Amino acid sequence: MKKHMKLTAAALAAAMAFSMTACSGGTDTASGSQASGTGETGGASQEEYTEEVTLKVANYAILESGYTEFWEGVKAGFEEKYPNVTIEWVTAPYGEITNQVINMAGGGDMVDVIFSELIWIPTFVEAGLAAPAEEMLDADFLADFYPNVLEAHQVDGQTYGVPLYASSCVLYYNKDIFEAAGLDPNTPPTTYDEMLQMAEKIDGMTTADGNKIYAFGVPTASVAVVGSFLNSVVYNYGGTVLTEDGSLAIDDGFKQAFDMIKLLDDKGYNPQNCKPKDLRNLFALGQLAMYYDQSWGFNGVSSINPDAANFTASAMPLKGGDGDGAGTLQSHCFVMVNNGGARAWAAKEFVQYVITPEVLNDYMNNITPAYPVKNDMADCMPELLAPSADATTQAKPVPLVAALNDFNLELCTLAQAVTVSDKDVDTAIADFETSANAILAG
Amino acid sequence: MPKAMTSTRRIKSATGDKIFSLGLLAPAILLTFVFILVPVIDSVIKSFTEYKIKNVISGAPGTWNNFENYIKLFQNDKLMPAIITTFVFVFAVVISQFLIGFILAVILDSKIRGSRFLRSIMMMPWVVPTMISGMVWLWLYQPQYGLLRYLVQVVTGGSVADFAILNNPNTALLGIGIAALWKQVPLTTLLLLAGLQSVPSDMLEAATVDGASALRRFVSIVIPYMMSVIKVTVSMSIIENFKQFPLFWTMTGGGPDGATTTLAILSYREAFVSNDLGSGAAVTTVWMLLMILVVFAYNKIFKAEPMD
Repeated sequence: MKKHMKLTAAALAAAMAFSMTACSGGTDTASGSQASGTGETGGASQEEYTEEVTLKVANYAILESGYTEFWEGVKAGFEEKYPNVTIEWVTAPYGEITNQVINMAGGGDMVDVIFSELIWIPTFVEAGLAAPAEEMLDADFLADFYPNVLEAHQVDGQTYGVPLYASSCVLYYNKDIFEAAGLDPNTPPTTYDEMLQMAEKIDGMTTADGNKIYAFGVPTASVAVVGSFLNSVVYNYGGTVLTEDGSLAIDDGFKQAFDMIKLLDDKGYNPQNCKPKDLRNLFALGQLAMYYDQSWGFNGVSSINPDAANFTASAMPLKGGDGDGAGTLQSHCFVMVNNGGARAWAAKEFVQYVITPEVLNDYMNNITPAYPVKNDMADCMPELLAPSADATTQAKPVPLVAALNDFNLELCTLAQAVTVSDKDVDTAIADFETSANAILAG
Repeated sequence: MPKAMTSTRRIKSATGDKIFSLGLLAPAILLTFVFILVPVIDSVIKSFTEYKIKNVISGAPGTWNNFENYIKLFQNDKLMPAIITTFVFVFAVVISQFLIGFILAVILDSKIRGSRFLRSIMMMPWVVPTMISGMVWLWLYQPQYGLLRYLVQVVTGGSVADFAILNNPNTALLGIGIAALWKQVPLTTLLLLAGLQSVPSDMLEAATVDGASALRRFVSIVIPYMMSVIKVTVSMSIIENFKQFPLFWTMTGGGPDGATTTLAILSYREAFVSNDLGSGAAVTTVWMLLMILVVFAYNKIFKAEPMD
């Protein structure tokens, strides 16, 4: 009996030791990856490769039901055109994809292309993963992009993100609510003052089931991308947030923007502490008359309420103070990693395959409304966005500083200080300056 | 002579058993060393260096930066509020969790009808992943169309129509605390119930015969017999809530206005939002030291002597 117990115990200990060995994993022999920057440089590879290549594309959108079909179609189309290339999706949820790519790279397993938000570019540049597009893509392909759009993806004069499409913080409004409030549904506000006058008429309205209708929505919850929305409101007022070299630059426009955010909260026009998706929900349910969103946010609205297209219209970002209504430029872009040889070639072909009217026209018109970024895609402008067609041409880039995500979260904290904490704007800005400077100092 | 031989055989057998025991323990010791001690030591070392994500990718070691990570932490006015928020949360949740858990355990131990069924149902929140729990509670708390807002509106006859527990810096921590309790109370109840059921019934019967009141029996017999279970349960609860991250990140992200920024959130922001792993490691080191101190103090205060 004792012998049996000993044998069993020994077997269990051996199993534990074996599991430890298994946990250590193996080396990735299949990827054959090289460190960034070890591939060919000085322009894109012109060589055609016929050998079998596995192209690793990091893409959070493949996990989101509204986009899966499109990306699977891209994979099928690309693999049909390039039979020697197999696309391997590297997936993680939206909030985790950057860590996923970095952790893989830390283990020596590099992806080739990352489907990225514009504000993630500094992270990939700082990590040494992002390769300049000038090094990876054909010069004539890059030359076709609108200069201001490409400029928004540059760090130290080099382009580290290649946009598929762009957006600014566009104003979406509900024509039915406008009509019910006695407003002209075809005349949206153009300035913050006009918006406030309209909001006064909408204030107090309720939906058929008795829920309050909010007049105007700007997100303020603690999510990095919300910082871009708040930055956009500052730009609307002609203000600045960061200088080009990445230092804090608070001016009158900045203060006026946060005065407005506080006023909207005091009057109860803006639903408090919302994420963009919360505003989309409210808008889809007819509980929000006007709100700022990235153009592709409408996909979230229509997925909740398929009839939203019937009552939704877009308008240019509002002008405030001395500003001309410019917003921040935002995009979904490809960040490329230079793994050299056949993989760099396949990455180039993939990016140049996707960013074409043939692949993106239907997507931009019927799945996720967005503004074109290249001359050959000028006709891809969706009808919904036609009234705000100039939103991206007059949009201004946000300086891509290394700590942009954390800085954006600090902007959210400032917005929360003047709204839910009801601090006075000057005090809140003084607190913000202290914490933001600490972040920017690294 | 045969006596000496037996003694030698016994010594040999004892030595063999010791070697065999050591062999059995070796994988566990090795696992603890490789997966717990080495990462902890590595993290502490990194907290004294400038260590960014490019170091992760290139494999280059961090560079010593003269305590810069710690100096920055103590200078930017974020560490102390995070420590206070963490302690308030841990203190409030652990005490509430213990009290609610104990009451539920006593109810379930009183052999009420359907207690077996209740016990199974009660474990459901514990089974749900913490991240999912956070999402569920976020929806319940949603200020425009959440269930809680609706209930408050109905109960107050429509006078409170915009109840938003997570939007108010004064109540946001309470909102997360409720979600944490919902998730963690089942396990606490189960552990305490096991402890209650191990109290010898003959002792209780003897005390009853001697005329001890229910309160006296509870204080003088039940609690002392359960002390070791209580100690383990509360220790687990302290650790669980000290390191609570998913509920905070999912439900508030540390907001509003920093009201729910705990050490876990601060550490994550430094390491994975600012991508400054050295600074994140500095927060983690402070966090770990505080947790060790708290658990040590707790064990010192609540010394449990096993009942015979």
